[in-house]
Amino acid sequence: MYDVWKNALAEIEQQISPANFSTWFQGTSIISNEDGHIVIGVKNSFFVKQLRNRYLNIITTALENNNLIVKEIDFEVQTKIKSKIRPREITTDTIALKKQLKNLKKQSITKQTNNLETGLNNKYTLDNFVIGSNNDLAVSAARSIIDSPGDRYNPFFLYGGPGLGKTHLVQAIGNELLRKNPKLKVLYTPIAHFYSDFIDSVRAGKGNEFNLKFRKLDCLIIDDFQLIVGKEKSQEEFFNIFNDLYQLNKQIIVTSDRLPSQIKSVDERLASRLTWAGAFDLQLPKFEDKCAILKAKAELQGAEIEPEAIEYIAENVNTNIRDLEGEFSAILLMSEVRGLTPLELIKNGSISVNKATRPHSVTSKQIVDKVAKYFDLTPKEMCSKSRVSNIKTARQIAMYLLSRELKLSTTKIATEVGVKDHTTVMHGIKKIDQDLHLNFILRDQIAEIKERIYG
Amino acid sequence: MKIKVTQDKLSKALANVSRIAIGKVTLPILNNILIRVDNKKVSLVTTNLDMAIIDFLPVSSSENGVITVPAKLLTEFISNLPKGEVIEISSKDTKVTIKAGKYSSIINGTLADDFPDLPEIDNKKAVTYKIGIDEFKNSISQVIVAASNDLTRPALTGVYFDTNNSSLFAVSTDGYRLAKKELINKVESEVKAIVPASSLHEVLRSISDDMEEVEISFNDDLVRFRLGEVEIISKLIDASYPNYQALIPKDNDVSIDLNQEEAIRTTKLAALFARSVDGSIICETKTPDTLSIRSIANEFGENDSEIKTKVDKDCVTRLNSRFFIAALSAFDTPNITMEFSSGVKPIVLHGKKDDKYIHIIMPLSK
Repeated sequence: MYDVWKNALAEIEQQISPANFSTWFQGTSIISNEDGHIVIGVKNSFFVKQLRNRYLNIITTALENNNLIVKEIDFEVQTKIKSKIRPREITTDTIALKKQLKNLKKQSITKQTNNLETGLNNKYTLDNFVIGSNNDLAVSAARSIIDSPGDRYNPFFLYGGPGLGKTHLVQAIGNELLRKNPKLKVLYTPIAHFYSDFIDSVRAGKGNEFNLKFRKLDCLIIDDFQLIVGKEKSQEEFFNIFNDLYQLNKQIIVTSDRLPSQIKSVDERLASRLTWAGAFDLQLPKFEDKCAILKAKAELQGAEIEPEAIEYIAENVNTNIRDLEGEFSAILLMSEVRGLTPLELIKNGSISVNKATRPHSVTSKQIVDKVAKYFDLTPKEMCSKSRVSNIKTARQIAMYLLSRELKLSTTKIATEVGVKDHTTVMHGIKKIDQDLHLNFILRDQIAEIKERIYG
Repeated sequence: MKIKVTQDKLSKALANVSRIAIGKVTLPILNNILIRVDNKKVSLVTTNLDMAIIDFLPVSSSENGVITVPAKLLTEFISNLPKGEVIEISSKDTKVTIKAGKYSSIINGTLADDFPDLPEIDNKKAVTYKIGIDEFKNSISQVIVAASNDLTRPALTGVYFDTNNSSLFAVSTDGYRLAKKELINKVESEVKAIVPASSLHEVLRSISDDMEEVEISFNDDLVRFRLGEVEIISKLIDASYPNYQALIPKDNDVSIDLNQEEAIRTTKLAALFARSVDGSIICETKTPDTLSIRSIANEFGENDSEIKTKVDKDCVTRLNSRFFIAALSAFDTPNITMEFSSGVKPIVLHGKKDDKYIHIIMPLSK
């Protein structure tokens, strides 16, 4: 149906002016065709009248030329992007969360099983995935995939740092797809298993079987794609399988800790294909989101924990959700052992959420020196006015660390690193902040510098 | 086509319709104003395909016909003619002749064939409400401040017209604050429709002193506003609106009365110091009679002001000062009641003993 309309549009395009064509026909589609009663979807009601009055003949002819029997044409308003993103209903205190919690409880009662055939673990569902501003885009894309796999978000490329829920989300997609249609062939496999399978099958001379196994799938989920580095044969095989599945409109889902273009030795053709339908990232949760996650977890475990304690943990764990949950469990355990409430433990200092207990004895000079040394510069070089790119980056990292670790004001930082005014500092910090999400090299560098500073 | 009309009338009508015709469009003819004369009825029409503005112009004499003229040129030309001058516009083919006393010019117009037909609302099938113009203007201005301009969440870029318990409400929210106003206390027909905030801004701008009433008609995907000589048709936003009722907290811990002017002044003072950080201020009640509003910004110093008002419980919350000032300023009464709790519950503002207009704001976290 869609192709017919594409052909018809190509014909219409030649008959009217480009401005008219792009205004009136862009984004239209055939919604249904029942025995010649064709319904065409348009942007809004301003378009209905115009198309009916001015272009009905052209449309009819064009459709008939494409061997469609046309008895009647109707127009209907159809918004293409139905936004499923819910407003941020302050996840900490609303009905939505309560509903999620209910689902969580239900979930925890049903038994967890790992399905050998699909590789999916049914403990991962969308219902127990806490949605926040850090992941709502990816989740709405996931929902759209569950509604119509192989359609709009194919391939679905999901990336983000460790412990932010990539595996959870893609497994949930697999589970929901199976729940809706148990006949679907879904396979979840970490890329490491993919290539060890591949090597085994080649060695046993069963390359064909391996091929068939993957090409029969309706949905292929590949986890930790970044580990493909250096496995050229496997990569080639994956590329072929990818192409075959894509041609057949089968859903392909890939996760990685970074964008394909940032993974060394990934073929450019493959890298660009993977992000055809866009790349979705999972970001670090914001403070409110972290509180929501912890509250959900507390209720799920039936544990009692003061809101202040939750806020304390949320504020002090800034790495990822896995660490957040880890700290949380540790505190609960400690509180059980010592017989004190979590807040009392925090107040009397017997708990040290590790990120919060860094020695405060670090001075700004130490930070500046360590950063400079890491980049093989002298502090004087780094704090010069040089615009050479690596010196500039070093300077910005220093600003970033001074702001994050010592909470210095921007004016103070400006004097520390020898820049003219605080706006430069603000820009530098913002830049690093933004890059951190996307640039894994930077992430590693900063982690390493921090280790040197505190180590 | 021929019309004769005074400069001030024409200039006002042109200024009103031309706003949406000036700017970047894909279809060049959308930069034009359509002038149509049909049996003494003269209409000026513009559209941007999301909405259309039609101004019915009272003229002294006319001849039938239709033509389109570049909106910007015509509007600027007419507005620069001397006031009170009688202007005669006539067209032959695509040449539009404008004469006014000793000024005369010819503008190249375009035939109206390519100008889009406007959708219409069938009065029989439509749901219609009537509201006094001042009431309407005031209410929509109070609500529209909270609408979002984040295009990725289309529903929130509009104002939601919603009937509930046989009253008509206008609501908007951007996820951080929410404003709700009762437009009509008792209505018979129901409506649930999201009107784009951009279209409502145009409606507000079209209001002039001589208007008395606005008639609002909805059908499935359109809304029409009729006010005086002006008619505005807009698409509706096709999305589902969040359940806003659930966002309005019922039982806040503390309720205090504020004087609008005093509260705005105090908040503005605190906001000066909050500029460099995130604009956040801290509101704290201290029994028996103090509301303290303060902010701390290490670089500039700090500010702490007090408002005397009856307090029966100690509470503290942190707010975005910009949102708080906007909310306080939106009230049309000097006596405002503020309800809030410590923690993450939204704060509620409404008129004293009057909850026709409610404005809620999410507090900030630490």
